[in-house]
Amino acid sequence: MYLIANIIVCVCALAGFIYGGIRFFRPKKALYAQMITLSLGCIAFGRLFNVVRLLTGGNLTEHFQLGFLGLIGSLMFFFSANYGTVDSLLDDRSKEFTKYRLIALAAPVAAILMYVGLFLLSEVSDLWKIMGAVLTVFVMVASYFNLKHLIFPDVDFGVVKCLRPYNLLALIYSVSIFVESCALSRNNELLTFICCCVTGLVTAAIIPTVVRGIAKWKT
Amino acid sequence: MENMIYILYICMFVPLLLSLPLIHKTSRRIMVFLLIGISAALFISEINGLMLRLLGYNTPYVTTTVTPVTEEIIKAIPVLIYAFVVSDDPKKLVASSFAVGIGFALFENTYILVTSVDAVSIEWAIIRGFSTALMHGICTATVGYGMSFVKKHKKLFYCGTFALLLMSIIYHGIFNMLVQSDSWLKYLGFVLPLTTYIPVVYKLIKSVRNKKKEVQPLS
Repeated sequence: MYLIANIIVCVCALAGFIYGGIRFFRPKKALYAQMITLSLGCIAFGRLFNVVRLLTGGNLTEHFQLGFLGLIGSLMFFFSANYGTVDSLLDDRSKEFTKYRLIALAAPVAAILMYVGLFLLSEVSDLWKIMGAVLTVFVMVASYFNLKHLIFPDVDFGVVKCLRPYNLLALIYSVSIFVESCALSRNNELLTFICCCVTGLVTAAIIPTVVRGIAKWKT
Repeated sequence: MENMIYILYICMFVPLLLSLPLIHKTSRRIMVFLLIGISAALFISEINGLMLRLLGYNTPYVTTTVTPVTEEIIKAIPVLIYAFVVSDDPKKLVASSFAVGIGFALFENTYILVTSVDAVSIEWAIIRGFSTALMHGICTATVGYGMSFVKKHKKLFYCGTFALLLMSIIYHGIFNMLVQSDSWLKYLGFVLPLTTYIPVVYKLIKSVRNKKKEVQPLS
């Protein structure tokens, strides 16, 4: 079941990566969209590693696997896209927006609470406790900006409104991979499969959402 | 022979080093990075030996999970220094980082050739030349591209480069796993670098031609 689950995510992410590559890797195209496309590349590569590992007789739960780095890479690209390219357009650091910044902190706080409940205080191996902690750090930084851009008021450029569906999908992705890691740490195949189906759907939907968002943003 | 790796290093490094003053400036940069790649391969052989000892000589796990991490990090360091200190021009960085990867592969291939001279064949040479050498070049060039953002987009540079490094580590891991498998999957490993290299080179040539076409009517 792990194999099918990883193939689903790999195919969906690869489709998104290729579509994004065709749409956005041209001169004068939004760097924001290029970063999101690369994040899908990371997801696809990470899952491909898992698929090859399983096909060559390995397993995903006993040792650290490089496929995990695909999750980290994707979260870093999500973070880079929001923090590096769009955030400075929306947030001028004025006091007026403090409450939105504070509300957005709910996402990292929720990630910490999930980590404590699902990994730290649970009977999982030390390896998964460490991997869970690393994942939590990256989920925290990526989800903060995703939630912030989801709730932030559209003041000047109309950018936030157009990219809200993408940020919602990115948040769902973060939750999904977190729960998936938790399921993997407990060898729960069914939950892993369900999470991978959700992740697959989200990754397949991300690029079309970004394409639509950027089209609205420009018009 | 115990010191074979050092003998080989001196035999390759010294003549190339001595040729440096006679080479044209642009080619000299590439040659310097080639030498750095050769030196990185020597350095990594020591680290990988240490990792192998630490992980109880679990060769399949070390070569598919640990060595991609150590090798990609060490190969990226000289490019990072170059990007910070000398130039962040994407063309220079990609070419230089590709040269590091090729230098690395050159030394690795020669070492394997010398130490397993009875086991090598023309097929082995073709496979090593078109797959392993190319894979090392592609992985380092990917990271080099990310480093071109070092001065232009600082916010993107740190996360983007790290994420690209993770991507190249996973790619390297997939390749190592594929070529080491006993099944038909190894053939996929042999063609994987070429399937990445050809579209990228095609796109680069196309973009250069397009640029030339754009310039010609003006002149």
